[in-house]
Amino acid sequence: MAGRIIDWIDQRFPLTKFIKHELTEYPTPRNLSYWWNFGSLAGIVLVIQIVSGIFLAMHYKPDALMAFDSVEHIMRNVNYGWLIRYMHSTGASAFFIVIYIHMARTLFYGSYRAPRELMWWTGQVLLLMLMATAFMGYLLPWGQMSYWGAQVITSLFGATPFIGDDVVRWLRGDFVVGDATLTRFFALHYLFPFLIVGMVVIHLVALHMVKSSNPSGINLADKDNIPFHPYYTIKDLFGFGVFFIVFAYFVFYSPNTFIEADNYEPANPLKTPPHIVPEWYFLPFYAILRAIPDLLGGVVAMGVSVVIFALMPFLDRSRIPGGAKYRPIYRVMFVLFVIDILVLSYVGLKPPSGSLVIVGQVATFVYFSLFTLLPFISRWEERWLRKKGLPPEVEELIRQEEEEAAKRGRRA
Amino acid sequence: MSEHDSDSSNPESPERREFLGKVTGVVAGTGIAAATWPFISSMNPSTDVLSKATTEADISDIAPGQVHTVEWQGKPVFILHRTDQQIDKMRQSEGGKDPTADQKRVLEPNWLVVVGICTHLGCVPNRVDDGWLCPCHGSVYDNSGRILRGPAPRNLHVPPYQFVGENRLLIGQADPQRQRCERVDPDAAGDTFCVATNPNGKEV
Amino acid sequence: MKQVILSLVIVVLGVFGAAGSQAGTTEVALKPIKVDRSLDSLRRGAQVVFDTCMRCHSLRYITYRDLLDMGLSKEEVDTLRGDRGLGEYLQTTMPPSAAKFHFGMLPPDLSLMAKARKNGPSYIYTLLTSYEEMSNGKIDNPVFPGIRMPDILNVTVETAPEERAVVEQQARDVVAFLEWAADPRAQERRELGVYVIVYLVILTALLYWRKRKIWSRLDEH
Repeated sequence: MAGRIIDWIDQRFPLTKFIKHELTEYPTPRNLSYWWNFGSLAGIVLVIQIVSGIFLAMHYKPDALMAFDSVEHIMRNVNYGWLIRYMHSTGASAFFIVIYIHMARTLFYGSYRAPRELMWWTGQVLLLMLMATAFMGYLLPWGQMSYWGAQVITSLFGATPFIGDDVVRWLRGDFVVGDATLTRFFALHYLFPFLIVGMVVIHLVALHMVKSSNPSGINLADKDNIPFHPYYTIKDLFGFGVFFIVFAYFVFYSPNTFIEADNYEPANPLKTPPHIVPEWYFLPFYAILRAIPDLLGGVVAMGVSVVIFALMPFLDRSRIPGGAKYRPIYRVMFVLFVIDILVLSYVGLKPPSGSLVIVGQVATFVYFSLFTLLPFISRWEERWLRKKGLPPEVEELIRQEEEEAAKRGRRA
Repeated sequence: MSEHDSDSSNPESPERREFLGKVTGVVAGTGIAAATWPFISSMNPSTDVLSKATTEADISDIAPGQVHTVEWQGKPVFILHRTDQQIDKMRQSEGGKDPTADQKRVLEPNWLVVVGICTHLGCVPNRVDDGWLCPCHGSVYDNSGRILRGPAPRNLHVPPYQFVGENRLLIGQADPQRQRCERVDPDAAGDTFCVATNPNGKEV
Repeated sequence: MKQVILSLVIVVLGVFGAAGSQAGTTEVALKPIKVDRSLDSLRRGAQVVFDTCMRCHSLRYITYRDLLDMGLSKEEVDTLRGDRGLGEYLQTTMPPSAAKFHFGMLPPDLSLMAKARKNGPSYIYTLLTSYEEMSNGKIDNPVFPGIRMPDILNVTVETAPEERAVVEQQARDVVAFLEWAADPRAQERRELGVYVIVYLVILTALLYWRKRKIWSRLDEH
């Protein structure tokens, strides 16, 4: 019976073919490490956020007079409302942790390089959409931090030359962040996740075109590939298990780790909290914003610091595969970059005072220097490594990769 | 997230069928099923809504012959303070198409408590001289809330209620001491009402 | 990759260590307390809150019915509520105009206080117990200088050790009650969490075992 139904569908829709092509026969490198689990983890977090978000929306009221109370109503009166709300607030942070690790893996192993530029760029778009969604969602509880965070961030658009004030007023629909802002942020916060789903589909279509990268950084020969199912379905499921244990720990035992205490005070347009901090995932960019003493300059620097990742395929001129694995200098740069991000986060967290301002400016300088120096350093590094003599297996990898590239060129 | 079982294309099917593999599947399935419960449950009435399940009404200032309307679970409830003549008249008949003895519809003969929603299509009947008249389709109810004429199929529903103290009525919760439940007509949901009895078990 | 991770971990610990030491010097020193979540403590805390705090403060997210859920008996709640309805929230007895007159502002609502401050429980406890008589004879709170709230638990009056112990116990009980009020579902959350995490550990162990089993097929070839 089941077979007959599948036959019936197969004559009208390529179900079996699709499963075969994308799952049971989809070739995946067998040497992927657990760092490759974070893509599917991002997918499951997206599911958590959409499901919990839809159920929260059934009880939430996007009205300046009712928003704060409705969140408390969810936390206190709705059956398991506390669970759904804490899942959603913890999920937002989990999303960024997973995405940042996913990006760090891509940077470390050079997975952004040809032919995966489009994967990297769709990923960049996903990051921007995620940031926008998280920012708008953060306004919804209508606490002090929500309110003043939105006030500060929407003010940034005031740096737009000539029409700055009009842009800000248009964004807010009011002279300050107000009821109109809250309602539109809610509408968009509900819409964006579905746009993200669409972009994820594009991301995955691109992935299935170019296939996964792998720790050794080349396209593997067929004998080194294994079908995605069952090997990577079970590996991803195991990854989900580990993720959910950590996630559940935070949801049940430390749910307020990711919620600022000030946000349990209702928004008060007449009183700014003594120290406004953005959510942890925006801290490095916030520090860059503050490091530049000019408003427009700061906003531009912050914007550039986020989108500059997209240039990585052009900035990295080295042809040595495997990302940082076989490239000692790139590895140093990677570590330096992560440390720099942590320093920037710390600076962003603290009030801007005395020496910290200098530290923030130095860290900002280092941030951009790493990107701007990369083309020269990567070229030079490759020449140096080749002169020094690469291990034979790496030479072999380069040869294979060049062959691959040539084949692609011929096909195109 | 779903584990796509496509054994046909997997040459090692028998191995996949082994016992602990099934256990894993069952454990995972149970977990997913259980995880849906908080979400389903969140759509049930929240505790603040449930707390409105009962309404207290002060009946001290309802003069004989007068009706007060109170809100109970979002619905209007008519509280009619009946005069002796009205009680006598009601006891003489069984109502209309849904015949029920008046005694079965009240706890105290001079207090009638009914949900003010026409059993036809949910309109709220208006008070007229000797009962209620539904403005939507003209159903007529008597002073026992029983349907006399018109399209409504059943008598006005009697909510569970009890008297607390001298002059207060608690609607939404029956007093187990004060009532013995005898289903008059188990099929008609609107009329499954308990026969009112006094503590000594004698019918009023 | 391993050395990379290791060095990063060291840096992270360094950064947060520095953050911690800096925080210690800039922020006020709170007296750390462990919240006693027993019903006895909650009951006593509720009594203190009703007798003292609620003269000025409200708890607008807590109704008398919630006190039943907290564990008080119907009789206890009836005594506390007098002729107020079960569904009414805990409202201060002071009219807003009087509050404006005495303090120049409305005293903040206490429902969420234990969550709306960093280290909320310690914050409340420190605030309640830090009143002192200053050199000019006025009573102030050196940890929160210029605070408009008076020494409500009589910390400056009850100075004998045994009296002091009573006051500190009262402060602890208030903290317990306010912590409950800030998150009445916390107990439910902590109880459910055990089952969820135990389940997830079992499931993950099973999945790991499956993964090992399935991947072992690759070695056979």
